[in-house]
Amino acid sequence: MERIPYWNISYGLLIDLLSIPAMAVFGYGIYRHWKRIRQGKASVRQGITLDALKLGPVYVWSFLTRGIVGTRIYKKPFTGIAHGLLFWGMVVLTVGTVLVFANVLFGIPVFTGEFNRRFMGGALDAAGVAALAGVLFLLIRRLSPPERLTCFKANSGFILIEIGIIAIIITGFFIEGARIAQNGIDPGSFVGNWLGFMLPTGEGGLELHRYLWWLHGLLVLSLIAYIPFSPLAHLVLAPANAGLDTPIPGPKMGVIDFEAFEGEGEEAPSLGVSKLADFSRKNLLDISTCLKCGRCHEVCPAAQTGKHLSPKGVMVTLAEYLQEGKMHDDSLLETISTDAIYSCTTCAACMEACPVSVNQPNAILGMRQHLLMERSEMPDIMGQAHRSLEARQHPFIGTGFGPNDWRKGLEVPIYERGATEYLLWIGCSVAYEERTQHIGRAMVAILKKAGVSFGILEENRCTGDPAKQMGNEFLFSEIAGRNIEEFNELGVTKVITMCPHCFNSFTRHYPLLGAKFEVIPHAVLIRSLIEAGKITLANSGRSICYHDPCYLGRHNNVLSEPRSVVSSIGHLVEMPRHGSESFCCGAGGGNYWTEEEGTRINQTRAKEALDTGAKTIATSCPFCMLMLTDGLKKFTEEQMVQDIAELVCSQMEG
Amino acid sequence: MQIVVLAKVVPDYEVPSADFELVGNRAHPRYTRMIGLYDENAVELGVQLKEKLGADLTVVSYGRNDDVQFLRKALAMGADKVVLVEGDSDDPYVIAANLKDAIDRQGTVDLILAGRQSSDMDRGVVPGVLAGMLDLPFVPQACSVESVDGGWKISQITETGKRLLKLSGKGVLSITSVPENVPRIPAVKAIFAAKKKPVEKLPEIGTGKMAVSELSVSIPKVESNCELIPAEDMDDAVRVLLRRLKEERYL
Repeated sequence: MERIPYWNISYGLLIDLLSIPAMAVFGYGIYRHWKRIRQGKASVRQGITLDALKLGPVYVWSFLTRGIVGTRIYKKPFTGIAHGLLFWGMVVLTVGTVLVFANVLFGIPVFTGEFNRRFMGGALDAAGVAALAGVLFLLIRRLSPPERLTCFKANSGFILIEIGIIAIIITGFFIEGARIAQNGIDPGSFVGNWLGFMLPTGEGGLELHRYLWWLHGLLVLSLIAYIPFSPLAHLVLAPANAGLDTPIPGPKMGVIDFEAFEGEGEEAPSLGVSKLADFSRKNLLDISTCLKCGRCHEVCPAAQTGKHLSPKGVMVTLAEYLQEGKMHDDSLLETISTDAIYSCTTCAACMEACPVSVNQPNAILGMRQHLLMERSEMPDIMGQAHRSLEARQHPFIGTGFGPNDWRKGLEVPIYERGATEYLLWIGCSVAYEERTQHIGRAMVAILKKAGVSFGILEENRCTGDPAKQMGNEFLFSEIAGRNIEEFNELGVTKVITMCPHCFNSFTRHYPLLGAKFEVIPHAVLIRSLIEAGKITLANSGRSICYHDPCYLGRHNNVLSEPRSVVSSIGHLVEMPRHGSESFCCGAGGGNYWTEEEGTRINQTRAKEALDTGAKTIATSCPFCMLMLTDGLKKFTEEQMVQDIAELVCSQMEG
Repeated sequence: MQIVVLAKVVPDYEVPSADFELVGNRAHPRYTRMIGLYDENAVELGVQLKEKLGADLTVVSYGRNDDVQFLRKALAMGADKVVLVEGDSDDPYVIAANLKDAIDRQGTVDLILAGRQSSDMDRGVVPGVLAGMLDLPFVPQACSVESVDGGWKISQITETGKRLLKLSGKGVLSITSVPENVPRIPAVKAIFAAKKKPVEKLPEIGTGKMAVSELSVSIPKVESNCELIPAEDMDDAVRVLLRRLKEERYL
């Protein structure tokens, strides 16, 4: 028999009418979020322009993939699948409900034929079962939570919601069962048919159907109204947050136009973030969206090695301040603590792990900028490195080397305007540390062997990236400005970098300051030289474990090229955490110049590499090399860490 | 109240020995220039006193015209103005006389701070000579200063610890480095504000020189002798290390 909407229900349209106040309450709740987020300010930082598909401020691809499909949720398969079952189950059920309305209002024939059997019967029942399975899993996990959910703070309100959803789904099934018990089997409705056999017929059955119908309807409307006031608000906030998040990875700090500050002196606006009101609207949306799931805490190198920082802890504090309306409360930085703020290695593992696209490092770096640029507060050793960077253009305090010592005894061409194709950018780490000088020398040998037209600057220096990471945007912009000026004078159009931090700065931040040159990381160039047959390598067959530098891998998606290079010279071995889920060496965020508390990050990572059983640990970042070399000393006296340039250089044939 | 800090712009004092070279008996001009190491400690102490006492803080320097860009760091740290006497003498007497002339032009000066020694010549003579010229007491190796009863309570670093002194009036102090006077990193607004602060340039006054002639300058040959101390038993290793350091008279 054909299904009749509102069968056995008097005044069923009341539910439709009641949906109006429910939606109004829902709208009011969302408005409250919007109002709270609007308290943030438009950032003085310039944005990063992208060629991605964009509608107004919305990055469509991010919105669809991370916001709607929720791609990052599935990085934890069980939770991800449960979440997916619940979400997509509810989506299908909602579509079914809308079709019922369409049938009532416009007479659209959804309850006939195959569509009724396959979709309105089978698919909706399957969606209900899926959603029920998903929500049951999530409820059990909330009742017996992993550490990440409870550390610092668990998000309250989920259990009530989950029980509510379970009640909605079960009442839905029972309504269907009660209807089928009275009217006979409904093709495709496998759950309803099964329940129909067990439910009473006659007046008792009709009464049960009526009560369940109203209960179900009222529960649904209550849930809709409650969504914005509960953690389920992420249904709206998460897609919004993903859609407004630049799809490129990394903290995306942009640059500050200090020319606007010229002439303002003491009256210039406060730099960085000292209170909630200093955050941008996107930051406040991040804070509102955070679900305190702790995935960021779980992957944070600082949190996992006993430092003061937990990205989740920071977001929890910020959320509490936001909740309590403490927009202008100056105690924020003291509550979070300077130690925590400076412990961030800016590795961006937290944001990569975040299922709702929260940009934790951006918030932390904003606070760091305030500490440094307004209060001149930073850890002692980092302060010394910073002073050196300020005075000498490099942060390597107490180095035993001059700027050109790395190339002593080596013929290295100087860049010539119009005559040289590539500028080989040496940077600070390759110049001033004995171990990393070998990277520069190896790279020179490779380029010469391959016949690449290259040259270096007469006086090498830093890109300013450590200053930026330490929070001194001003010093960064000064150094970057000088570099850009010199590049322009020399007519530099192509730059090779050996340090991912230099690469990141050149490609992410320099263009915002007017730079126009192409940058290629040495891993990518070496691979292209191998592919073009310009260098041939002997494969040693030895096992080589590759450590992904955060600023090359996670920040810039350069993952396959260094692996391809490693595979050309040996047998590539992977650590459990690799690729975009790699673990930081501990040097990022200026933490190369700190005394670590707790377990040392570089030792943790070095042990992980050592445990692979590989004979060599390869990397493609001078900082990673220094950190891993140092970390490995705890376990072995063998010199196992090498840059891919060194490895290639040692295996070059002919 | 006015406090004067003497600051000298010097070549990078951390140039690695292997990279160091001389031109005309002085550090090669390619080295980065900066305010001297201890002079920055003196500036920091001066700024701290300024903040505590509401004093005016003037930085007085003797050096090259283009030193101003480096002296602005002292302004960014909190000094109120810079007075630069343009000159290129290395003679401590000439330097002190020129600094005295600049200080005399500043009106009443209640305290003069200087780094304990410049980071290029490392003689530590100028503050003492200046004190003599100004007829003021000189306290070397000071590390902290407090204002008390119209005078100053001064902590002086000695070989064995600290000595507390009282200076009943004006004086010249040379400042050594302690954690409390590690130079601050100037805040960005202060850097911008420093660009507007006054810089006064004075011509060098002619004066006599010390009766000391420079005969030669040489770079010491760097040698490293490495002796490994067995470290299987840490306590024992420390005892051996101490004994060796004492034998070599490092301790």
